[in-house]
Formats: sequence, C-alpha cells, structure tokens
Amino acid sequence: MSIENLDNKSYKEGFNTEVEVDSLPPGLTEQTVKQISQIKNEPNWLTEFRLKSFKRWKEMSEPDWAELNFPNIDYQALSYYSAPKYRSKDDIPQEILDTFEKLGVPLHERDALLGIEKDSKVIPTVAVDAVFDSVSIATTFKAELEKHGIIFCSISEAVQQHPELVKQYLGSVVPYTDNYFACLNSAVFTDGTFCYIPKGVRCPMELNTYFRINARNTGQFERTLIIADDDSYVSYLEGCTAPAYDENTLHAAVVELVAHDRAEIKYSTVQNWYPGDENGVGGVYNFVTKRARCQGVNSKVSWTQVETGSAVTWKYPSCVLKGEGSVGEFYSVAVTKGKQQADTGTKMIHLGKNTKSTIISKGISFGDSTNTYRGMVKVNPGAHNARNYTKCDSLMLQDSRALTIPYVTCENNSAILEHEASAGKISEEQMYYLQSRGLTEDDAMNCVVNGFCKDVFQKLPLEFAAEANKLLGVTLEGAVG
Amino acid sequence: MLKLTNFSVQDILQNINVQFDEGKTYVIMGKNGVGKSTLIHSIMGRPDLETEGSIEFLDQDISELSVDERARLGIFVSFQTPVSIPGLSNFQFIKQSLDIKMPEMKAKLDNFKTLSSQMNLPADWDKRNLNTDASGGEKKKNELIQLLMLDKKFAMLDEPDSGLDVDGIKTLVEQLNNWKNKNNTLVVVTHYEQLIQGLNPDAVIVLQKDTVKVGDKSLAEQIFNNGFDNV
Repeated sequence: MSIENLDNKSYKEGFNTEVEVDSLPPGLTEQTVKQISQIKNEPNWLTEFRLKSFKRWKEMSEPDWAELNFPNIDYQALSYYSAPKYRSKDDIPQEILDTFEKLGVPLHERDALLGIEKDSKVIPTVAVDAVFDSVSIATTFKAELEKHGIIFCSISEAVQQHPELVKQYLGSVVPYTDNYFACLNSAVFTDGTFCYIPKGVRCPMELNTYFRINARNTGQFERTLIIADDDSYVSYLEGCTAPAYDENTLHAAVVELVAHDRAEIKYSTVQNWYPGDENGVGGVYNFVTKRARCQGVNSKVSWTQVETGSAVTWKYPSCVLKGEGSVGEFYSVAVTKGKQQADTGTKMIHLGKNTKSTIISKGISFGDSTNTYRGMVKVNPGAHNARNYTKCDSLMLQDSRALTIPYVTCENNSAILEHEASAGKISEEQMYYLQSRGLTEDDAMNCVVNGFCKDVFQKLPLEFAAEANKLLGVTLEGAVG
Repeated sequence: MLKLTNFSVQDILQNINVQFDEGKTYVIMGKNGVGKSTLIHSIMGRPDLETEGSIEFLDQDISELSVDERARLGIFVSFQTPVSIPGLSNFQFIKQSLDIKMPEMKAKLDNFKTLSSQMNLPADWDKRNLNTDASGGEKKKNELIQLLMLDKKFAMLDEPDSGLDVDGIKTLVEQLNNWKNKNNTLVVVTHYEQLIQGLNPDAVIVLQKDTVKVGDKSLAEQIFNNGFDNV
C-alpha cells in the first residue's frame, strides 16, 4: 500500500453537517468586532478589550520565521462569527447532537443520566463541553460540578455569570500584544471553555471540551481560561476535528492557564483537524497560543499533546515558572504526513527558585511533510537551582524532513540543563523481527511507533491513551512502502 | 515438513538439497561464515536475501510468501542477536504475536511469568522493554520463552547457547526436550557439545557452500575431534 493511496476517505471525521446558522458576512472591521460583542451581550470592559486588540492587530504583521510554507491568508475573506440557529439550550438541533454522537462524544444521554434520581450511584467520570463552530452547545454535569464549587462552562457564559473572575484573568497570561494571532484572537474570540477550581478542591472528573469546526470559510477563535486556586487539581482534555473542505480554515485559539499555590493542572490535547488531501489542498491552519503561568509555590502544569491533523500546525504550549518550586512539563507526539507541516514545541521559562521542567517531544514524519521541533528553555538570573530535562526524538518514515531547533539560554550558573536528541528511521531489522512473529507489516510498524511514543502516551488520561493509540494507528495506515 | 531443493541464496549458498521431517531434531554445524544464519533466515523469508530454487513447507511452495505469512504458517526463528524495540515490553510483544484477547490475558501472563522465573529472569521481566538493556544471555532466554508460548511447528534456533551459563544451558535443554513432539521439528545451529548431547539429535547436518553432509551424532563427534576439513 503506498502513500499515494491516502485520500479524504481515510479521514472519517471529514463529513459536514447541514444546519441553519446565524453568521456575519466575511470581512473584518471595527464594526465586525463591535457586532460580535453585541451579539454576545458583553459588558463594556470586554468590548473595550476587543477594540484595543483589534486596533493593535492592524499595526502588526504576520510573523514569518517558522519553517512553514503556506499561501497568504486573506483575513477579509473569512467570516468571524457563525453559530447554529436555535432558540434555547433545550432546543439543540438534532443534527448537531448527531454530529457529536457520530464523533463519539457523549452529550445528551449523559444529561439524561443526571435527571434520574435513583441512579445516583452512577459516578460520572467525564464532563463535556461541546463547541460547534463558534458556540458552546452543551456542557454536561455542570450541576454536579457546582456542588464542589467548580465552575465549568463556556467563556460566554462565564462573562455573564462570573465577570469578576474573567476580568481578573483574561489576558493575564497571554497579553493581547503577545503575537499576531493572539492579538487577532483577543479581538474576535467567540467561545471556548472557562474553568475555575476553588481552593483545596480536587476536580472529581475529567473535564473535556470537544471542538468541532463545521462552517466553511470561517475563522475559529476559541479562548480558553482555566484557573486552579490553591491546593486544587484538574485534568482537562480537548479534542478537535473538522470536515474535509477544499478551502483552508484558520483556527487561532488562545489558552491561558493559571495555577496557584500547590495547584496542579493537567491539560491534554488530541488534535485531529482535517489535514488536507494528498496534494495539500484544504486543511486546517492550527495557529495556537497556549501558555501556563505557574504562579504559586510548588504549582504544576503538564501539557500533553498528540497532534496528527491540520495542514499547518504552529504552536508552543509553554510554562512560565514563576512560583518557587514550580514544575512545568511538556509531552508531545506530532505526526506529519502527506503535505502537512508542523513547527511546534514549547517554552519553559524559569523565573523562580528551584523550578523544574521536563520536555519530551516525539516527532514522526513521512511523505513530503516537514516536522520541526522548536523549543526554548530560558533560565533567568533569579532562577536558582533550575532543572530541565529535554528529550527530542525524531522518527522519519520514508523521505521526510525533521528539524530540531532548540534555544537554550541560561543566566544562572546553579542551573542544570540536560538535552538529549535522536533521529532515525524504523530499522529493517526491527520490522523483520516483528514480522517473523507473524505481525503484518502495518502491525509491525504500529508496534515500533507505539513504542516510540510510549513515554508520551503514558501521560494521557487513561481513557484517552487508548484513543490516541487508535488515532495513531489510523494516521499511520499505509505509511509503509 | 520442510524441503529445500536446489536452493541457492545469492552467492553465499549454492544448490542446497536438504529435508527436515516431522518429529525430528536436527543440529546444523559448519565453519564460521559458511552461511548457517543465512540459510535459516532465508527459510524465514528475510526480504534482502534473494533465493532461487524450491522451498516447500508442508508440501506447499512458500517461496513467494512474506515473512509474516511464513510465520503464521508455523515457521519460527530464534535470532542470534535479537534486536531491541524500545517502548514495547516483553509481554506486550507476546500479546501482539499471539493476538491474545482479554479472557485469556491473565492465564497467558501467568504462563509468561512462570517461564521467566524458571529461567532465572528478573521478576519484572514481562514489563521490561523488548531486548533493551538486557544481557546476551537474557535475550536468548527471551527468544526461548517466545518459542514456548507461540504455537509453532518448525523452529530454527540460531546459536541459542551463546551467552548462557551452565544453568542456562541445562534449562535450555530441558525446555527444548519438553517442547519437542511428534508433530514439530527442531533445528538448532550450534557448536556446543553439551547442547548437542542433551538434545540427542536425529541428524547432524554440516553445511558447506554448495552441499550438505548429513550424518548422525557421531558426525558431530568426528568434527569435535578432527575439525571441519576432514568431513
């Protein structure tokens, strides 16, 4: 089976959903920004935040330093708001529920479970916030979580119900001036997830947001904000898919995490945005700014990502290690095939004393793709006893491009930084050995690749480790030969 | 069981004719570099070894079959230097090879642990990465466990004794003799007298570039006494 056999059919999430929508016409002006704010009934301070960002965005220019090659984006040709039409949350169109069902995301049934009183010993393990295009459709188990004081809802709802919290933290980790795409996002973001875990609370279930892009020619600008107060814990996972369209879709999200004293946030992503066809036509541009501030003493944030989709992936989930003894971790598996391109990695910024960071990055590339790891480890003068361990491994199947670009800056000589890297192919010897035990070529390859990714998969929440494994298997189909 | 007729492998082996029968044990000997491993791996079907001539397994021509197809028919090879596969544990490998389903999982794992403890392998052997950070002897023992757990008819062992200590050899002989039955065939490449004695082979095959000499155990004794050149 050769690479040339890959086509849209193998991206099973490539279907689209026919549903009535409210949308703004294409184009981006100050008026568009005001309209978005108006549709969402936002308070003045937020409208001002958007307008300030939009003004700044117009003065900025698109960055071009990445190892990425894509045609210029026409920002005026995109629509910045598209939401499915329905009256109330109880009135969600069946087509949308069906979409999430088809994608394996449980929604309605779980809601029904909560209503059945006698079934109170059914302990939910996953709460889901489903975002369809620009809008959060449903969030399950909100009531259950509220009993613990946990807020888990869409950002739009948080702006209405908990404006003080949003105002305090929005833009505090990723300022609107940070970069071109974050600035654009700050002007036109529509929805995303908001989560607040109060002091001393360990969130009793996995929180899960599922992003589904459906409308054509729209930009998707999610904004997610997660705050873990002192001594709290939360594990959050986001999943992403999109239909197979010929046009490129821009996904420019911003995720901000704040961890206070002794708090821990685990943030996992399984991304399978439509990657484009074998000629590189269509596909999602995934330009995301994700950053965590480990504000508190002994706070900890772990980023785990499995990226298999997108035409172009450009993201560096990072940690600012401010609190003394804080810990930042980054575990990543990034797969590129066909004409996909990825320039991804992380930034670990050590500011406080005794901070620690771990980076494990696995890149798998085949076909004509380019897979670049770009990572920064920065130790500031005040970061006594900083520790970093970085391991970047590249696995190249067939002729593809893999690059590793580490930036290491150390301004404190009590720091210890370790960096290991490897690059290689799957050896014929390994394939032969596995096949001599009866494994087919595809299974043998899966074995080797899974072994390669094991360190990262182990960090995913249990339910999703299995999903990630499956996704990797599907992604690699036909990679041999 | 397996028959080679006018079988050649590139310019290493020419026109080899040999037959292996069910229920029998064979020892293959030969000078270093003559092509013993080559012969074994070409029977397994290693893709880089071009062969000519006929190779029949259970009366079926298998020359066009891939490695994994031959494995599934029941052919097994124990490697001289098994390759390491990081991230894949020893038991997981067996799980994949046997395609073990949930109901049988515990029984198979217990079986694995029993075998590895019989061979004096560390208690966490099932979790260790395949052939990674293992001594030569440990890797050989792992190969043996695979043979014992996978249901194979035709087993070829390439110097299974190298790296094993005295106890290891004893266990190897015991386990192999246990494994042998009237329906399978064991082929062992070795120069180790103790092993040959213990296995009590039905035939000893001395491989040369373009021919094989077949004899009984006394042929092995002859080689030990007088070397290969007087065969």
